[in-house]
Amino acid sequence: MTNRFALGLVLAPLVVLGACSQEAETSDDTLVIYSSRHYDSDYALYEAFTEATGVEVEVVEADGDLLIERVKADGDSNPPDVIITVDSGRLWKADQEGLFASTSSDILNQRVPASMHHPEGHWYGISSRARVLVYAKDRVQASELTGYESLADPKFGGRVCARSSGNIYNISLLSALIARWGEERAQDWASKVAGNFARDPQGGDSDQIRAVVAGECDLALVNHYYFARMALDTNEDVSNVEVYWPEADPGVHVNISGAGVAANARHPELAKKFIEFAVSDEAQKLFPELTSEYPAVPSVTYDNAVLDALGKFKADPLDGTTIGSRQEEAQRLFDQAGWP
Amino acid sequence: MAAVTNSIGNRAAFAAGGNLRRLDPAVVGTVLASFFALPIIALIALALSGDSEYLDHIASTRLAEFSIKSTKLAIMSGALAALIGVSCAWLVTRYDFAGRRALSWLLILPLAMPGYVAAYSWYAITAPGSKFEAASGWDLPTVSGISGAAFIFALTLYPYVYLLSHNAMEAHGRLSWDIARSLGAGPWRAFRQITLPLIWPAAAAGTALVIMEVLADYGVADFLGVSTLTVGIVRAWSSFSDPAAAAQLAVLLLFGALLALGAERTARGRRQFASTGASDTQLSPRSQLTGWRSAVVAGLAMLPIALGLLIPAGNLAWLAINTRPSDSVLPALQGTLLLAIGSAALAVFLGLTAAYVLRSGNRVARASVRVLQAGYAVPGAVAAIAILSALAIGQSVLNALSGAQAAILTGGGIIALLLAYQSRFAAVAILPSEAALMKVRPELDEAARSLGASPMRVVTKIHLPLVLTGLATAGLLVAIEVMKELPATMILRPFSLDTLAVTAHNYASDERLAQAALPALILIAICVPATALLNLVRPNA
Repeated sequence: MTNRFALGLVLAPLVVLGACSQEAETSDDTLVIYSSRHYDSDYALYEAFTEATGVEVEVVEADGDLLIERVKADGDSNPPDVIITVDSGRLWKADQEGLFASTSSDILNQRVPASMHHPEGHWYGISSRARVLVYAKDRVQASELTGYESLADPKFGGRVCARSSGNIYNISLLSALIARWGEERAQDWASKVAGNFARDPQGGDSDQIRAVVAGECDLALVNHYYFARMALDTNEDVSNVEVYWPEADPGVHVNISGAGVAANARHPELAKKFIEFAVSDEAQKLFPELTSEYPAVPSVTYDNAVLDALGKFKADPLDGTTIGSRQEEAQRLFDQAGWP
Repeated sequence: MAAVTNSIGNRAAFAAGGNLRRLDPAVVGTVLASFFALPIIALIALALSGDSEYLDHIASTRLAEFSIKSTKLAIMSGALAALIGVSCAWLVTRYDFAGRRALSWLLILPLAMPGYVAAYSWYAITAPGSKFEAASGWDLPTVSGISGAAFIFALTLYPYVYLLSHNAMEAHGRLSWDIARSLGAGPWRAFRQITLPLIWPAAAAGTALVIMEVLADYGVADFLGVSTLTVGIVRAWSSFSDPAAAAQLAVLLLFGALLALGAERTARGRRQFASTGASDTQLSPRSQLTGWRSAVVAGLAMLPIALGLLIPAGNLAWLAINTRPSDSVLPALQGTLLLAIGSAALAVFLGLTAAYVLRSGNRVARASVRVLQAGYAVPGAVAAIAILSALAIGQSVLNALSGAQAAILTGGGIIALLLAYQSRFAAVAILPSEAALMKVRPELDEAARSLGASPMRVVTKIHLPLVLTGLATAGLLVAIEVMKELPATMILRPFSLDTLAVTAHNYASDERLAQAALPALILIAICVPATALLNLVRPNA
């Protein structure tokens, strides 16, 4: 093996890669979306949009925080047109970083409730999920439960399952509780809940539900759509657990996924059109029907037997921006309360 | 004595008077290290740019817990992986039994299983309410917490120790073993006093890789509920929105990794092992095993493969059968292959150069390469952020110099991603190259030089053929690591490039293990031939 041959062998892939790294020029007709969601409902949404308008959609998917860092770092060079992310906390963070441009239209303002969009139109909610309790029907009576406080009730010592405090859903819940109850009461609640754990936080929401089904714990804190998904899945059996709506003060915690026009968008008008499409009846149906989330627009009708069976609930009308802004405090409180 | 001769020989080889192709190892080492250590430098800069508010909060609440858990996990996983790796290497070298040939390379395969995939799969099999437990009636202990995580790490990372130990045992073990036995030593004593010291550097190098991989991991620890320093780092970044705080903890982690590396070097001592030069025919035959003994040993050797690869993959296959595949799988496959091949080529070049730098014995050069290797312990997400910062700085320097605003360097892109991979996986490229280079006798250098060969010719004509297997190992290992890599890929990839790891993770993290199954299986399926290739580039059994 000669010197030159070895050198060539090493350089060749670099040349190839250098050529490849010239990113394809997106045509004028392509809408670029950065999303931290990866659900079937979203893919159906993109397809439906392309079909309705003829505009191609290019999607980049990445986890919420990574996505924010990436958009910040890219700056002007590869801007998305639309940013979609899950959870008020991330929407707030993205907003703080100046990633959104203000947008508004009659359609958006009329269809999306005020608590589900940014006051200056930086982002609009497109779907929502509720954080609920699931309980074992044979070991717990619904009458014993009084809102989120039940998780802290000493009678449930060693019977509670929840995922780790690092998870965004838990953080947002505590943020809301801090805003409603004040820091002291919220921290007290968190440390009592942690004291009631049947096991160290592990796994995701579905794993908490399975733990209740298996009898490892009797009460768990989860997002409603994981339960609905399992109820609709023939491979899972959740017949012995039930959802409890924690409506007691302050009301059921509802979190949103939202979309906004990106600050440096190359096609801001097209981006606005996409968001308007996302809150249309046709698109909103996709969320409950394909992911079992709730639509952002309250008037939309859909076909989902499990959601219908769960019925209506009293939501905490706290707005997304307030929830998002207290994220850091919430994680701090979790650390101090000993919820790993 | 060998060490002294070696460094003299090298200094002579490298700094030949009057020869224009003078490669001062200190310069080469420093240039190499600073280029690839740029992310680490950026990391430190990022850490220093923040205040200590987060550190104060964490120190009073969870820092001790994070550090203790990280250390415990690293030690448990390393010890278990070393135990499995060395014992399997020994079984396969010392004895001949039914299926030995196949098992000797099959044992490398669990490397193809990404840790986070194994964690999701094993948890699904053993968690309360799992379908497997319902169907079989067995009540398996749940794979969770520190012991669960150590189990997963040991089973998916032991191939590092196995591979390096096996190479070493094949090269040195059998001849010396026989000599010891003929002198009357019992099998255990012969192993302990002869074989173990000979393979110690290789086994230690493999264990160091395992420990650094464990320190950098986020997915396994987070999912199984172990609060490690890396989990704390990612939380600092996501929950506290404080990249500087994340960088501060990451620097702490880096110290830990440097300590681990330092400990490995000290344990290894200043020993350098040149080949004895014995030809194959002089190596004694293996001990033949028959009947039930053969079956037991074969079963033992099979166990790590089953636990580390077959069972978790089998569970995924079962899930995948009942699930509709998504469209993103094929493009993801292309992306994965592209990145792997490019990275492997770069890694070979890097590994070889760095190994030479190390061999030169120059202290500055060695220190810089050590720091470079410690990059392996930096979590991928943090490395990516550091790279983005480094590129941003580089871009502003470029803008200042050229007066233009062409955004060549900023943002993501393949170059940034490859840079991130190299800084993360330098250790994986360097350690096998170094181990291979150690096999080259120093006397060869001197002989060649005295015959008038230039330093470069010494490299290409003499060293290269001898260390080819080590280089190929380095390239393949990096390719496999890159194929499995997750967080840096997610942050830095160009938006048109998807990988199997990212696709699988997105589904699994959304608790849709069934949809994650297919991309995960394809990932394993392409890693498997790559790991099998590792066998082909070993010295012949």
